[in-house]
Amino acid sequence: MTPVIRTERLTRQYRGQRALDDVTVEFQRDTITGLLGRNGAGKSTLMKVITGQEFPSSGSVTVFGQNPLENDGVLRRMAFVKESQQYPDIKVRHAIEAASWFFPNWDADLAEQLLDEFALPRKRRIKKLSRGMHSAVGIVIGLAARAEITLFDEPYLGLDAVSRQNFYDRLLADYAEHPRTILLSTHLIDEVANLLEHVVVIDQGRIKIDAPADDLRGTAVTVVGPSRSVDSFVDGHEVWHRGGIGSLATVTIAGPIANGQRATARDLGLDLEPVSLQQLVVHAAGTEQAGAR
Amino acid sequence: MSTTTIATSRRASTLDAIVKVGRLHLIDRVSYAVLPWGILAFTFLVNVVIFSLVPAPPEGFYTGSLLSIYIFMIVLGVLSMTKAVPFAFTLGVSRRTYYLGTVGLAVATSAVWAALLTALWAIEGWTDGWGLQMHLFRVPWVFDGPWYQVLLTSFVLLVTMFLAGMWYGLANRRWGITGVLALTAALVVVVLILIVAIILTDSWSAVGRYLGDLDLVGATGIIALIAVVLGLCGFATIRRITT
Repeated sequence: MTPVIRTERLTRQYRGQRALDDVTVEFQRDTITGLLGRNGAGKSTLMKVITGQEFPSSGSVTVFGQNPLENDGVLRRMAFVKESQQYPDIKVRHAIEAASWFFPNWDADLAEQLLDEFALPRKRRIKKLSRGMHSAVGIVIGLAARAEITLFDEPYLGLDAVSRQNFYDRLLADYAEHPRTILLSTHLIDEVANLLEHVVVIDQGRIKIDAPADDLRGTAVTVVGPSRSVDSFVDGHEVWHRGGIGSLATVTIAGPIANGQRATARDLGLDLEPVSLQQLVVHAAGTEQAGAR
Repeated sequence: MSTTTIATSRRASTLDAIVKVGRLHLIDRVSYAVLPWGILAFTFLVNVVIFSLVPAPPEGFYTGSLLSIYIFMIVLGVLSMTKAVPFAFTLGVSRRTYYLGTVGLAVATSAVWAALLTALWAIEGWTDGWGLQMHLFRVPWVFDGPWYQVLLTSFVLLVTMFLAGMWYGLANRRWGITGVLALTAALVVVVLILIVAIILTDSWSAVGRYLGDLDLVGATGIIALIAVVLGLCGFATIRRITT
């Protein structure tokens, strides 16, 4: 594994508030990484520092082994599509054409296909597009750019479920043919869970989780059953969340769960359900909700 | 590839990106060609209609319509530093490349416009003011030397307007409306200090003599100097902007 992006003790401070607080993290080459966290957690700031659009207050960031700030050689190998991406007052086809000039690996055929799939009117001015179509323009540019590092920051505001699924399918298919480093920040965690190879959770400017997606799948389990049996089963485990109705209890505990315990659970009439990535993130990033931490 | 060829190709691709930034702006042909020249053509026609109805005074007609094209240059400068900036950043363009590309565009646009204005200036001279003794392009003192002087002065003025607009656009992006107001206030203060200094040192007559002796080439030189200062201020500002 080769890191293409590295930050070291990266801090970005805005008037007393730390958007990034001592962040040391690496992003691996040819990997799809999900950058997850709450609003204002620091995801966008991190992406902006990586692409040289924002300045670090302290610490450092290197991309392809170099400082990306004002570094044309590094910057042209990256594409960064933001939430509510701004465009000059031009038509859709002009934005696509302009993007094709700047990215060395631009795939014009792919761009045309994507325009059709997202039903984007080529001759319409971008400022006249609906919210979702506006987002789709950014997605087309981000995918067709085939940049060595592609960053999507909440790229699908207002995009319908069909288009979002289309985006995931296209991303995965194109990634399989042309592996590259992709950073995707999103709130729709369960939608992208199967897409991600690596997960980084950031909260209040700090890294909370930095692990391969596969490793995360066993980190917690939800136990469902009669409260008395559940209580005895979870005894000794770290409890993340407790809920239930009447005599039925639902308790999320930190894993992993040994095979012997699975048998015990079966004997007690308890159901063991894997915890979704979304719930993991809620636990890691939701400071208030995290009861037993 | 040897180190030198890598360095050369890197320089070449950066230059390439600078040119592309210029092309990026030119996508908006309405702003860069249709509107400024359309407005000028319209005011020209309005002037022609009015002046053909009114008897010409002995010194001929004078009109300030030419000003619109210079004001439009300021507008273009401001515009170039608004929404195209975040779009260019998305496409992997650095602040420096974006700035150089935009300045390059300002220079190229000004050169074309200055050539057009000089041609119209010449035609106005040959036709005795479009047959109406109208002075639209032949502005006294500013544009009444030889053609190459008209060309140079127009060019320098146009570039200066664009750079001033760019800096204002950048100041707005970096410091918001407060910054723009502060910048304006600072300029007023500088002018005031100059005036006060002139009054205190009792040197109005010296200043008057200097300005009186100043020929157009000298004035153009001073404006060119202002353009360089504006350009450097703009560059220092764009290096600090974020998105």
